[in-house]
Amino acid sequence: MLATAVQAADKSLSITIYTDDLALVQERRDIDVRGGRQRIEFEGVSAQIRPETVSLTAGDMSVVEQNFDFDLLTPAKLMEKAVGREVTIVRVNPATGAETREQAEVLAANGGVVLKIGQRIEVLRDDGLPVRVIFDKVPDNLRARPTLSVTIDSARAGTRTASLSYLTPGLGWKADYVALYDEAAGKLDVQGWITLTNSSGTPYENAQTLLVAGSPSQAGSPGQFGPPPNGWRQPLRRPALEQPGTETGNRERLGDFYLYPLPERTTIANLETKQVGFLDVHGVPAEHGYEFLNHWLASSDQPQSAKSTYRFSTSAHEGLGDQLPAGTLRFYLRDKRGEPQFIGESRIDHTPMGSTLSLVTGDAFDVKVKALVEKRTRVNERDWKTDMRYEFSNALPRPVTVALLQQGLWGDARISAQSEQSTRRSADTAEWAVNVPANGTTVLTASFETRF
Amino acid sequence: MAARGCGWLVILSGAALAGLLLTGPSESQVSVQDAPAEAPSAVSVTVYRDPYRASGSIELDRLNGFALITETRTVHLHAGDNRLRFDGVADGIEPESAIVAGLDDIILEKNRDAAVLSPSALAAAAVGKPLVLTRTNPKDGRVQRLPGTVLSDAQGGVVFKSEQGIEALRCSGLPETLSFEGTEGLRAHPTLSVWLRAHREASATVMLSYLARGFDWAADYTATLAPDGRSMDLGAWVTLANGNGTGFREAQTQVVAGRVNRESGEIEPLDIGGPIVANCWPRGSTSDIPMQLQLDMRSAGLGGQGLKKALAAPAAAAAFQLAGPAQQAQQEQLGDLKLYRIQEPTTVASLQSKQIRLMDRTAIPVSLVYGLELDPGEQLSAAGGATPASRSLRTLNTQANHLGIALPSGHVQVFAFSQGRRLLERESNLRDLARDEELEIDLGPSPDVQVEATRIGRSHRVEISNARASAIAFELKLRLPDGVGIVDAKPAAATRNGRPIFTLSIPAHSIAVVNYAETSVGRAAEVHRQARDPGARIPQLDVNLVREVRRDVAEIKAPDRIALVQ
Repeated sequence: MLATAVQAADKSLSITIYTDDLALVQERRDIDVRGGRQRIEFEGVSAQIRPETVSLTAGDMSVVEQNFDFDLLTPAKLMEKAVGREVTIVRVNPATGAETREQAEVLAANGGVVLKIGQRIEVLRDDGLPVRVIFDKVPDNLRARPTLSVTIDSARAGTRTASLSYLTPGLGWKADYVALYDEAAGKLDVQGWITLTNSSGTPYENAQTLLVAGSPSQAGSPGQFGPPPNGWRQPLRRPALEQPGTETGNRERLGDFYLYPLPERTTIANLETKQVGFLDVHGVPAEHGYEFLNHWLASSDQPQSAKSTYRFSTSAHEGLGDQLPAGTLRFYLRDKRGEPQFIGESRIDHTPMGSTLSLVTGDAFDVKVKALVEKRTRVNERDWKTDMRYEFSNALPRPVTVALLQQGLWGDARISAQSEQSTRRSADTAEWAVNVPANGTTVLTASFETRF
Repeated sequence: MAARGCGWLVILSGAALAGLLLTGPSESQVSVQDAPAEAPSAVSVTVYRDPYRASGSIELDRLNGFALITETRTVHLHAGDNRLRFDGVADGIEPESAIVAGLDDIILEKNRDAAVLSPSALAAAAVGKPLVLTRTNPKDGRVQRLPGTVLSDAQGGVVFKSEQGIEALRCSGLPETLSFEGTEGLRAHPTLSVWLRAHREASATVMLSYLARGFDWAADYTATLAPDGRSMDLGAWVTLANGNGTGFREAQTQVVAGRVNRESGEIEPLDIGGPIVANCWPRGSTSDIPMQLQLDMRSAGLGGQGLKKALAAPAAAAAFQLAGPAQQAQQEQLGDLKLYRIQEPTTVASLQSKQIRLMDRTAIPVSLVYGLELDPGEQLSAAGGATPASRSLRTLNTQANHLGIALPSGHVQVFAFSQGRRLLERESNLRDLARDEELEIDLGPSPDVQVEATRIGRSHRVEISNARASAIAFELKLRLPDGVGIVDAKPAAATRNGRPIFTLSIPAHSIAVVNYAETSVGRAAEVHRQARDPGARIPQLDVNLVREVRRDVAEIKAPDRIALVQ
């Protein structure tokens, strides 16, 4: 059965990339087929194609079978497939350079090549002298790259347009944000870029590209088994999303996912990182603050830095006015000479419009907290009383407010005494807003009654 | 440089971003012209510390910090679509952080092509294309050129086809090589480029900013103790290093102190390339004489190894005493971080570490404190013998003490005078210290001051011997289990940082004794009051504890406050 190689030149390609290393490739190619059964090879498909997801449709033909050949053409494979066949060997005399040609039959290629030349049996290049081996053909299903081939049954001969679609890993995207904070005005300028990377081993030329801010669950893929990811399994990360939004953006959607089409047809080369802008907002009000999270019974002899936080909205009113695909937000601030300097970055998840985000950029050099367990007393057989003392210091020439979060207040834990009023953020966490004067210190004390 | 001061986002506000045009793909095919940017006319490098390195010096073979690099470059654009190419960016570039500002044209895409020119990349690109195989006769040097096609480069073996048939490269034992037609658009280094649409032909000054890995910095302090031990001089260098293959000449250089948040971002795909391996078919032999060794070029790859070796040069020592006043870095506030600006442009060369003076302060009053932290649950030493106390220098980072400045974390070397010579006494690490914080420099253990702890039941006795010719200040800190307190302490204990501490002054050549009893978990005072009162009604909860305490009390002979042994 003869194979027709389908060239990539006359194809029209469109790629839909999801955020978790998965892409849907759809292409239309003109194929020229004869009537009856034949095999068609598709070149230039992803080297990481998931062959079970391939679907080919064209008029007046039916698919008999689909094959994905990953038997690659290498010298060793070539020799292996030549076992039992004739090859030409060319001996080169090292003294004179004269060539001698002989026909030889390859008997075996196990750990060394055994040849039969006339009635003699020889091991190829056993003496280390130069011997060229010339093969007359390449075995049928050995190829330079993994190749998709489809056997079809065509009702008629002639050229027609076939559409091929498949899923492949190796293509992924995320968002990258540049945020420039104006300290004096408390305003944020934000640019959003879509960053897509191709490590699938194949270039996609002149492709119409659509990005989906979401990940269709891949049933059966590793990692989907086992217990669902519970809180304790995931590393404890400070949630960036303070208040989920309730606004709807005007971007295109697919189910509950937002879509980001690229404006131009583009070529995604192998090993390429490509960025396209999608957001540019100026003068969004943002609030700079400090936060210190103390774990239950955490106590330290040395002051620890509070975290620098920036809080802003993604609402259409006084906010970024867009939903944000998951990615990394990099914060910049102008130095005394007016040049932007990097001050830290923070990751965000897919964030609906209208949300309030609170992001940490790093540790504050000058605002520190020393949390101390002053006393632990057993009140009775079940209950404990814990006296905590929090010492705040501020080496900045302006007063600051630090949000102190004490974690670990499970069950019927209660605060029996406190030097300032707290709010209970959740059953687990109490929060104090502590004012620390410029170049000054503040002390906060609290007593907790717990069962542990 | 007009673009400098106002730079960035603000300028970009004039530029339309492609994203704002996300209306749907246009079908038009466009021709893109190559527009290489000129070499940078000005560079600014801001070095950030490795956020996960606690303190201490930088390690040249582990430069996990990063830098923000801002380059000012002149570009010449053609009317229409341009591929604006930036050559010579740092090899540690994080392409997703790249920002291009100063253009009022439409930026369609930013690209970083990580496929680099290498022998294996050439072979891969040549698959299916015509090329020439060159074979040299080893005897007479005659060169045979054989036109052919590469059929495959899979798994490192090259199969090619010529009019003579199909052969495998370098399997014959003859000198063979491939001559390629072109470089297939591949370049020596990953290339950053911007696809933009210019309204007209023009020249512009653009600013390119990006984060690059492979940098780090730390402060290296030198503390010199005065001969009387009551004051010290403190000087410091900024030691910064560039582990990139790219250097930055005459760069405006800054370093930033404080920990910034970094998301451990995945590293973008990068093919560092490799040689043409030319794997062959099995080459077993009937003889056990080794075949002529085939040069295994795989080990000579371009991994990080070479860089590390190249960087293994020693760091400049921080211990020199200054001959004269050096140019000092100037500190300014950057949000919640500290930025140190190096006054004059300096060259941050590739694979180089360099030092710039950070500060010099003199006559800082210090006190020398001996101490030990004791965990009563543990034996001090395996043999139950004495343990040397630790020494530290203490002062407050205040203006009154000639300090009162932010002290970035790093490494400190302490020098002291002995018989008129300045000798190194100790090296230790320093964390980030804000103004008015306590500065404590660890001087290591002192063999002259030994601590011996013994316990009988819940009672503890600690003896501190001072073999020095002068009185010392000593602090004994206890690290007690959760809920455990102490009673019957002689001398009286204070509480610091929620833990008991005994502050003693031990005269020369004497032994001080500290006694205390440990309470059991919780209800410490209650249990002890009950234990002392023979008529007390003891609740069930405390019965066992009270019995224990009474037994302990019977066993201990009442200790003196401090027994002095002359």
